Amino acid sequence: MAADKKTKLLARQLFKLSVVDDQVSAEQVSGVLAWVEKHSPRQSLSLLRIYQRLIATELSRSQALVSHAGSLPDGVLARIGQAMTKKYHRMITPSAKPDPSLIAGIRVRVGDDLYESSVAGQLAALSA
Amino acid sequence: MSNVIEQIEQQIAKLSTKAVKRNTGHIRTVADGVAKIDGLSEVMYNEMVQFPGGTIGIALNLEQDEVGCVVLGDVSQLKEGDEVTTTGKLLSVPVGKALLGRVVDALGAPIDGKGPIDSKETYPVEKIAPGIMARKSVTQPLFTGIMAIDSMIPIGRGQRELIIGDRGTGKTTICVDTIINQARINKVGIASGNKDFRPVYSIYVAVGQKQSNVVRTISALEAAGALEFTIIVAATAADNPANQYLAPFSGAAIGEWFMENGMDALIVYDDLSKHAVAYRQISLILKRPSGREAYPGDVFYLHSRLLERAARLDGKGSLTALPVIETQAGDVSAYIPTNVISITDGQIFLETDLFNQGIRPAVSVGLSVSRVGSAAQIKVTKQVGGKLKGELAQFRELAAFAQFGSDLDAKTKATLERGARIVELFKQPQLNPLAIEVQASILWTLQKGYFDTIEVKSVVQAAVSLREYLTARRDSLLTAIRTKAALSPEIEADLKAAAEEWKATFAAK
Repeated sequence: MAADKKTKLLARQLFKLSVVDDQVSAEQVSGVLAWVEKHSPRQSLSLLRIYQRLIATELSRSQALVSHAGSLPDGVLARIGQAMTKKYHRMITPSAKPDPSLIAGIRVRVGDDLYESSVAGQLAALSA
Repeated sequence: MSNVIEQIEQQIAKLSTKAVKRNTGHIRTVADGVAKIDGLSEVMYNEMVQFPGGTIGIALNLEQDEVGCVVLGDVSQLKEGDEVTTTGKLLSVPVGKALLGRVVDALGAPIDGKGPIDSKETYPVEKIAPGIMARKSVTQPLFTGIMAIDSMIPIGRGQRELIIGDRGTGKTTICVDTIINQARINKVGIASGNKDFRPVYSIYVAVGQKQSNVVRTISALEAAGALEFTIIVAATAADNPANQYLAPFSGAAIGEWFMENGMDALIVYDDLSKHAVAYRQISLILKRPSGREAYPGDVFYLHSRLLERAARLDGKGSLTALPVIETQAGDVSAYIPTNVISITDGQIFLETDLFNQGIRPAVSVGLSVSRVGSAAQIKVTKQVGGKLKGELAQFRELAAFAQFGSDLDAKTKATLERGARIVELFKQPQLNPLAIEVQASILWTLQKGYFDTIEVKSVVQAAVSLREYLTARRDSLLTAIRTKAALSPEIEADLKAAAEEWKATFAAK
């Protein structure tokens, strides 16, 4: 069942309560979940799904997911984290994820933004 | 050799290690040709987005936490979670003379099986119409080749003239005749070697039509030798609503190239009723608020921004638009017809009753008007056709009155007789446009009373005979009328001699 306007609005309000100093607060999220469980507002399932999506989007904005082919040299991950923190004016936590399909190079994802510096990406651009 | 080196350097540059930034999102839902996307936080309104498999879409709804995109292609390959990227580009179509003689889809891709189009330029599909200062008033004629229109409802280059009527009243036929006439004039003009001659290139946009109808139109243009001056943009009933919505804008972009490069073009939107329906479909799927007849609130702006792109530019060329609207049971006061009537510079109204009476083209003289075309009418047409509209209006009024009584004075009888002959004279077979000099000659013959002694039922036959006589035996006279574009005493004397000779031969048959 699609969420109605009131549910969407409530989910957004709960999301705002969960963010403290531009960061998702685990404590606040627990509080929100406890409130939902206790009061069971209408369309609880839709509410929680929207809330989850908003939290996931916010979390992805604070994370730099570094996909890489082969091994990542020492200190690269930390440098990427520093560069992204400076660029986005917020604390960005880097995390590495091996991905052999890239052939060589890296791909960094911060929220909706994707930084492509892999051979697979360049080959795809050439073939387009 | 340096060219080869440059090519290699460009390839190396493409493979450089510099990181490329892209804004991405993920498909949340796909339904009815519309995808709802999470992410794409930097997407712009009307920006092209790239789906997997090379499919493209346009971002039309930018909401707080999702983006609504219409998919311009096969949606069957798309699924939830697929990555979508922004392109930073507005939707563009190839433009230029390379498209002449080709049939393309709403994205400018060829669909006629004649191979790729060698076009070097692209124009954005959505563009702001030329401003006030860039424009020039309409003063040059655009002949349709249809006597009833060229003499009473003249069209000028840069004008927007609506063609409106019920289904099956000959709207498309008028448009196709006009395109064929442009091709005929182009061929004569180019063959004459006149440096000042400006050909008119035509663009025919088919929106939501049956594919068989589009094929018929293409065949008619091909048979008349008009396809070489024509571009066909087809978004048929089989295409998705997004393509049907875009096709007129793509056609306008193709036409604008001619206009901005100092050439003249004619664009036919066949038809905008189906275009509005396609837009309504998209808007409802995008969950935009609906208004009258369930059309979205911006359906007026949809057509006004499209038709405002037709113009005559100062120091450049022109784009003349012939939008077509299909009415239901002759109701011109419906939502979309009134919108387009108010946007255009006049309308040609086609009546079902006239069509069924055998008066074809079924132009309703009373309801048809050209608001700016008279300034573009050439002198010869004004000289021979200036009084026609009044005479026909008088005839219609008296014909209705005469039904109640048989005692009519001589003047009334003469008006009725003349009116009946004008109506007959304006009957014209389809795909057979007449040159303006032939039209002028026939109308002059009528005005001078040469048709008065011919029976009403024989007027059509007499007009055909006169046309054949003039083209076969008085070519120099027709050339003189065409080049001078006015009736001088010498030309009138020649016309008189020709008319008398023709009348003698016609009466002898």
